[in-house]
Order: sequence, then C-alpha cells, then structure tokens
Amino acid sequence: MISERLKKVICDELNLSVDLVELDDNTEANEVPGWDSLNHANIIVAIEKNYGVRFKGLEILKCKNIGDLQKLVDSKTTETL
Amino acid sequence: MFSLIDNESKILWSRWEYFARTQPNKDAVVHWSATGRNYRWSYGQLLKSAIKYSERLKQLGVKKGDVCALIIRHNPQFYPLYLGIVGIGALPAVLAYPNPRLHHEKFQQGLIGMSERSGLNWIFTERELERIIKPLIVYRGKVNSGLFFPLEWEFKENIREETVTELEDIRNSISENEPTLLQHSSGTTGLQKPIVLSHRAILDHVNNYGKAIQLSENDIVASWLPLYHDMGLIAAFHLPLASGITTIQIDPFEWVLAPSILLDVISREKATLTWLPNFAYNLMADKIKEEELQNISLESLRMVVNSSEKVRAESHERFYEKFSNYGLQENSLATMYAMAETTLAVTQSEDGKRATEIMVDRNELAQGFVEITENEKKSTVCVSSGKPIEDCQIKIVNDRREEITEDRIGEIAVKSVSMFQGYRNYPEKTAEVLDDEGWFYTGDLGFIYDNELYVIGRIKDIIIVAGNNIYPEDVEDAVSKVENIIPGRVVAFGEEDEVLGTEQVSIVAETKLDNEIELRKLSMDIVKVGMSVDVNIQKVYLVPPRWLIKSSSGKPSRKTNKQRIMDNIDRNVWSNR
Repeated sequence: MISERLKKVICDELNLSVDLVELDDNTEANEVPGWDSLNHANIIVAIEKNYGVRFKGLEILKCKNIGDLQKLVDSKTTETL
Repeated sequence: MFSLIDNESKILWSRWEYFARTQPNKDAVVHWSATGRNYRWSYGQLLKSAIKYSERLKQLGVKKGDVCALIIRHNPQFYPLYLGIVGIGALPAVLAYPNPRLHHEKFQQGLIGMSERSGLNWIFTERELERIIKPLIVYRGKVNSGLFFPLEWEFKENIREETVTELEDIRNSISENEPTLLQHSSGTTGLQKPIVLSHRAILDHVNNYGKAIQLSENDIVASWLPLYHDMGLIAAFHLPLASGITTIQIDPFEWVLAPSILLDVISREKATLTWLPNFAYNLMADKIKEEELQNISLESLRMVVNSSEKVRAESHERFYEKFSNYGLQENSLATMYAMAETTLAVTQSEDGKRATEIMVDRNELAQGFVEITENEKKSTVCVSSGKPIEDCQIKIVNDRREEITEDRIGEIAVKSVSMFQGYRNYPEKTAEVLDDEGWFYTGDLGFIYDNELYVIGRIKDIIIVAGNNIYPEDVEDAVSKVENIIPGRVVAFGEEDEVLGTEQVSIVAETKLDNEIELRKLSMDIVKVGMSVDVNIQKVYLVPPRWLIKSSSGKPSRKTNKQRIMDNIDRNVWSNR
C-alpha cells in the first residue's frame, strides 16, 4: 500500500496533481508520467529529504516498483524511530 | 608514445586474433553487474567463443555483408556474439533495447524504418520481444529475414576442423575497405540515418585516436555507455579491443540508478580512461553521497573525456570539486568532439592537461563574434574540445560554406581519413552533408581559437538530452495527436537545465482549454504521449489558439516561439513548472 505522503512527494517532484495519478504497489517508475532516468535522482533526493532518511545506490537498484520503494522507506523510518 | 605492436592486421578480426594469440589470458571485456555476477572474458576465451557464434551464424545462413541487428540487454554473451558476426563478414548493428514505456507500435515503426534504409537481414534479440518483432519478419523467396534468440543457444565444446577452415576462408576474403559495422543515429520514427564503417576506417581511427590520448598497453577503460551509442561502441568497445587492452562494461540502467557504480569500478579495477556525456558530471557530482565514496580512489584515472553533448565549464568544476578529495587529478578533465560519421573523434584535448577554458564576451557571441574578455560579468566560459587528431582537419564556414576567420562563429566542417562512405541507401541525405572534396558539414556551430575547437551550439534543431539526439518532429507529431491540442500547432525545443548539465525537452502547444484543472490534465496527457515515444517532456507550455508564430514554411517556428517562451513576458502562457 502506497502512503499518501510518499505519493505526494513523488507527484510534487514531477509537478503532477495527486488526484490525477494512480500509484499502487506494482506501479513501476516508467509508468509514472515524467519519471525518467534523469528525474529519478531528484525524486529519490526529495523522498530522502521529506522522510529524513538516506538511501544507498544499491538499495535503490533493488527496488523494482513503488511498492519496493515504500518498503524501503518504511524500513528506514522504523530504524530511525 | 602510442604505437601498436601489430600494424599488419587489415581487418578487425585479425587484430583480435593477434591479441588472442599473444596475450590469451589478458582480460578483454569485464562484464560488470552490480546486482548479479561479473564475468571476465580473456582475449583467448572471447575469440574461442566468438568462433562458435560464427559457426552457428553460418549454419543459419548469415552471409558476408548481411546486417545483423542486436537488440539485447546487458549480457555477457553479447560480446562473443558481436565478434562472431564480424568474424563472418556480416555487419553488427546494435540497437537500443526498448524502454518498457515505449509504445509497441512506435518500436515496430522504428524497426521498419531502419529495415527500409539499412536492410536489417537478421534480428538477434531476447525472447521477451518475440511477440512484438515477429509480425514484422517476412520470409520472401530466397531472402532470409530471421528472428533468433542467441542467449538460448547451447554450444558443443569443440568445433569441427572443416568449419574452422571454412571460417578462415571467409575471413580471408574480407578486404579492409569492406564494411564491418552499421550504426544508427537516434530518433524514433525512422528518421535514423544508417552509417556504415569499414575495417580500415575503424583501425585507422584506433591508431589516430590512440595517439591523441597516448593510449598504452597499461590502460584500462571503464564505461557505462550503451553500445548503441557511437561513444560507447567505438571509444569503450572497439578502441580497447583493437588495442589489446581491457574494457569494463557496466549496465547503463544500473549506472543511472546508482551512479557510484562507475567510481567503484574505477577504484577496484584501477581504470585509467572513461568517456562521459556532460550530464553525467552533474549527476555524479550532485547525487553521489560521501558515504558511498568510502574507500574509493580515483588516482588511476588519467582521462575523463567529456563528449557527445555541449561541454559545460561548470560541470567540470563541480565534478573536480567533488572528487578531487578522492584522488581525481585536475589534468584528467579532458574533452573530445566526435560523431558517428567520422567513426568517432574529430578533436581531442591534450593529454595530461585540463581542457582549456576561455572567457568570451556573451553579447558578442550571441551576434556570432568571438571576443576574448576578462570581464566576468559580461562573459561566458567556453570549454575547448581540443585539436584535430591525426589525419583529421576542421574548418569553420559561413552559410555559403566558405571558410571564415577565427573571430567568427560558423558551422564546423570536418575532413577525416576515418570518414563514413555516406548514409546507407540515403544518397539525398549524404549529398546534403558531404561535398565532393570530402568535407562533412556537421550542423554544429563553433569557432577555432588558438588552434583549438570550441563547440557552442547547433544549426540543426536536434535536442540533445544526456547525450542522446532527439528529433523535435518526433515529439511534435506525437503531441499533435493529443485530444484538446490543436493539430499541427505544436513546437518542441531543447531548454537548458543548468542543474542537470544537459538539455531537456519542452513543448509549446495551442489549446482552446483555459481552465486550470483541464490544463493540468492536458499537460499530463502530453507528458504521457511523450513517454510512448520514449521522450521525457520536462516542461509543457500551453497557449491559446493562434499564439504560435509561423516560419516562412508555414509551420510554427521553433526558434521564434522558443525565444518568446524564454523571454517570459506573455501572460497567456500556462506552464506545468
């Protein structure tokens, strides 16, 4: 399940209206309008800032879809609690 | 001083065979995978495996001169297959594996366009693409067009003696001036121009460019560049293999998600050379975190060569600032001006010296004049792409193709011993750019100062995003079909993204809609249609009917309308950013 917070960070970074975009666990980056390899790094940085976490390159590489990204965020935020 | 031990080889295969014989255990290609396993091909093993592929290809009926398209993701079997194709005198043509967002029809259309021009006789790909490509394959009489999945092939340990002799006979029949490979320019709708290069063109280029960068047997190349791109294919694949040195091949998709992989590879393998498009300098400087750099040493790097899009002084500065603490030497910041038509390099900055930077008056530059200034407030910094490599000449010409003086900006024209023979099956396009004396008119704008070339822009409307050429008409055609866009009233252009150090694609389109919610939805539809042709549209400007100014051809002018957007004075412009 993708949290409203993660969805908002992604949509804000891509200048998309949250209500026009559908994201679920299986959504892949290339299905999200505007999410390409160049914007990818900016989206990751935006998520890191918003949640106050840091990702390693290899951790990101292993995320196949937004569900994986959500799990990664969750694991980091649990660690910091 | 660079000198090849073997200068007898007239064709690529002989050169590779020479190294397989004289240094069989040296690494030829290190196939790097951050998430899987690395695979090291020695020269001996690589050639042995390539012969097996040659045998299989021969059995399938692949003949000398046939074009073999390769549409395969990062895979260790790619390299012997590629060499095996060259080994029977056929022409490998590496094509980009389609991004999942690219619409199937668009991909098919591109392949049909390439088939018409290039005559793709055979397609070697992965099973996943079978259902998309199969409908395109036609068997007509004796013309063999086939679709095969070489990653599924299994080989016996040994090949027959007779086969070895037969393959040798085929190789002996190949002459140095015969074509050895085919490259395509970018584009998605059949606008790609096929470029055929001969064995001689490549071997001469390896020799001349090798001298320019002082290549030695101790060099090691590290690259994430895709092999369908000329810089990846020639600089990071053919150059090392024809020089008997090692190349480390990183998956481009892995690199872009985790750019620190390149530095990890350089550090671990003590790589000395790498080629990068300008955006990579910004991406690596800005996005790699200090904690990812623990234990990284870049001391082995003697050249980081910036090429394939405009070189930005600021990008070099940011890159050096970030990585000098990790052993990056300032004099490793190098540049090259290159294009597929001349095999690759035209100019190269001096070995052992940071690429020259000069300050020129910004206003004069905009008027087409070069005036050196020390006034930082009114200047812009231009980075040199170096001097012509051996057997290569450059000149700057005006719009009548007459040579002009050093203080003027004009079109860059090039003459090279490694020049292509013309676009394949495209004589009208060749005639536009290649004159009777062998000068190739590049469509790029630049000037020469103190014998060094400075590239500052383009005459052509091509947009270069992260080193990839995008034709605006491809994007405009796609956006024109979006509901609520007035057909034909669309302009695509490149907009400088200073943070990323590259251009990004922008769209100005006319619509009758004027409600914020509807405009937002329309903007997203435009970005989505861009994705279907594998182009990321970064900025969308929506304007009311009759806003776009037409050029003399009757179509909306890209240049004029881009300027109106950049001037930012019209309140009737809605933007998604």
